[in-house]
Amino acid sequence: MEKIKAGLNSFGKAIAGFFKEFGEAVVKGDIFVKLSLLWMGAGYVRRKQYIKAILITIFQIAVLAFTFGFAMEYVSKFGTLGTVRQESVFNIQTMKNEFNDYDHSFLILLISLITFVIWIVAIVAYFGNVISVYHLQKRAQQGLHINTFREDVHELINKKFHVTLLFLPVMGIVIFTIIPLLVMILVAFTNYDQHHMPPSELFTWTGITNFINLFGGGGMTITFGYAFVRVLAWTLVWAFFSTLTTYIGGILLSMLINNKKTKLPKMWRTLFIVTIAVPQFVSLLLVRNFFADGGIMNTICANIGLTGWLRDIGLISTSYIPFLSAPIWAHVMIILINIWIGVPYQMLIATGVLMNIPGEQLESARIDGATPRQIFWNITMPYMLFVTGPSLVTDFVKNINNFNVIYLLTTGVFVTTNQAMANSQAKETDLLVTWLFTLTQDYYNYKMASTIGIVVFVICAAFTLLAFNRMIKGDREEAFQ
Amino acid sequence: MKTKKLVNITLHNLLLAFLAFIWLIPIVWLLVTSFSAYTGMNTSTFFPKEWSLNNYKNLLFSADSVAQFPNWFKNTFIIACCSCLISSSFVLMVAYATSCMRFKMRKPLMNMAVILNLFPGFLSMIAVYFILKTLNLTNNHLGLILVYSASSGLGYLIAKGFLDTVPASLREAAYLDGASEAVIFLKVVMPMSKPIIVYTVISSFLAPWMDFVFAKIILNAGISSQWTVAIGLYNMLERSLINTYFTQFCAGGVLVSIPISVLFVIMQKFYVEGITGGSVKG
Repeated sequence: MEKIKAGLNSFGKAIAGFFKEFGEAVVKGDIFVKLSLLWMGAGYVRRKQYIKAILITIFQIAVLAFTFGFAMEYVSKFGTLGTVRQESVFNIQTMKNEFNDYDHSFLILLISLITFVIWIVAIVAYFGNVISVYHLQKRAQQGLHINTFREDVHELINKKFHVTLLFLPVMGIVIFTIIPLLVMILVAFTNYDQHHMPPSELFTWTGITNFINLFGGGGMTITFGYAFVRVLAWTLVWAFFSTLTTYIGGILLSMLINNKKTKLPKMWRTLFIVTIAVPQFVSLLLVRNFFADGGIMNTICANIGLTGWLRDIGLISTSYIPFLSAPIWAHVMIILINIWIGVPYQMLIATGVLMNIPGEQLESARIDGATPRQIFWNITMPYMLFVTGPSLVTDFVKNINNFNVIYLLTTGVFVTTNQAMANSQAKETDLLVTWLFTLTQDYYNYKMASTIGIVVFVICAAFTLLAFNRMIKGDREEAFQ
Repeated sequence: MKTKKLVNITLHNLLLAFLAFIWLIPIVWLLVTSFSAYTGMNTSTFFPKEWSLNNYKNLLFSADSVAQFPNWFKNTFIIACCSCLISSSFVLMVAYATSCMRFKMRKPLMNMAVILNLFPGFLSMIAVYFILKTLNLTNNHLGLILVYSASSGLGYLIAKGFLDTVPASLREAAYLDGASEAVIFLKVVMPMSKPIIVYTVISSFLAPWMDFVFAKIILNAGISSQWTVAIGLYNMLERSLINTYFTQFCAGGVLVSIPISVLFVIMQKFYVEGITGGSVKG
């Protein structure tokens, strides 16, 4: 927790420093610095950096043109997300039915958000511009060299190379991750669903109604709360068991393979790796058919009498074993199948770690007469936990979001018989993320999907915070350089 | 004593063989079913009753409206190449900037990346889908390439962990010789980072082959010749198609798995190094 506090503190300090510098620049700057408040290029003209002046002026004009020529029309409707519904109007001049000048709620939301991001960038650039112009003034007063444009560009592959390196990746992340995430976060506070689909209908802000519905309040849609509790419980159970089983399984398997008694360890390792090298959509879809109600596994079980025996003791009531089509069976099977997929992965990681255990420690323990079991519990395991502990938490978070395994194994196979679950389009084997996916892809219920997405984030963030201190060991990175 | 040891070793290896046997059952089933003469799912016996090469022949040479494997393979290959190029350069660029350079925004940006990685990937996909739709890029390969590669900078941590172990003294020496930061990046650090480059390139090349969900969202409504292998094969198992195409699905699965497995086995050598390298050497 202290790290976070320190992080927030330094972040706040950085912002405060930025504004302080800006204030100082405005107060102590000469007339051209002050003029830069209106025309961003002014300060550069004074220092004869004409190309820079032109470029920043173009930037300023572009932002203003974008704001007043295009964005304001949308931003002004951000408060209501549009009021004019789409209607078909008969146009006398063209003798045709035409749409009126309607509002498109989603476009309003999206474009407003993009505009806000552009504004933030522009404001930071605006303040930064004044500060940098003031720095130029100070340099000029001290009689220091002022960079020509060519030298400024050269800086971009030298001292400021990180700007060049990070520009495109950060742009990509902003456009394809941050803006979409913000849009979806906002959607969670609207009523955007199948009854409010733009362009034919409008949607609007509804506050935290969706969250109340999800957590079981709000009478009418009580089923969402019902399904949420069950899906959440299974998500956590699944994440816990899948992480634990593959982790332990991976360590055991790698110890088994790395044992001196093993002949041809490389061959064994490759055999296990082959199973994860096959793409999941092939292997999981295949396994799903392997365990289908009328599939090969059921035939084998029926032939050896297992099906009959299970029916006799009352575990199943059908003529087949519902491996992936009845609640408890499917839950157990999914975790077992995940062991099949996950253990080789963990085996790979564990192998790398095990090979790095300091040999002399093991040796001295052996000389002291420790049994293999004692060595495992007192040296190997603590070391493993120390090195892979943080990754255990990231694995847990990854499993909360493990879409592939659940979706590929259960879609179209598992049909819920629980009416209350079905009402909220969930099923017993759904994780929060697969539920979210079904809600958007099949039922266009974007408001609930976004709400669930936020909840998933909060859960993941909570678990990661627990491991935060160990994950970001910023100071350690210099240690081995 | 000696016989006891021998028995011990045999039992040990038998246990491994037994585990390997369980792990390989589905893979073997995939392989044998792809050679089955029957087109639907074989539910009565593990091995097919009649063997034939027809599935491969149909899949490769007589594409129909459902199975267009050569097209899918070509599409996926093009998408994988483009997004591999973009993602690997993004990842290496971000890794170098965060590992080898020191600047004011470095820590805040890295913390930001940790937070962003906590959101489920396809929560943003819904909005991305709408953005791409307004740009007319859905059901389009360019859109899918952008989806795979645009945010790839977020996955820089493994590469950064590796670059952290490259001695700083090397860079300082080059710096004293008058080399610019860009020259150091390209001529000093990159040639030393071959393992992590190989790992990054292969893993970003494999992502489009392994991915299912993004391709489904972006390309789903399009015509089947535009699909990638993943959605194409998934579609073969639709309830109405499974009895005609199940063995072709297996054949397709075998065909994509072969190149991917080879790449994957190469990559895993670097996988272990990349994952554990950073933490262990500390």
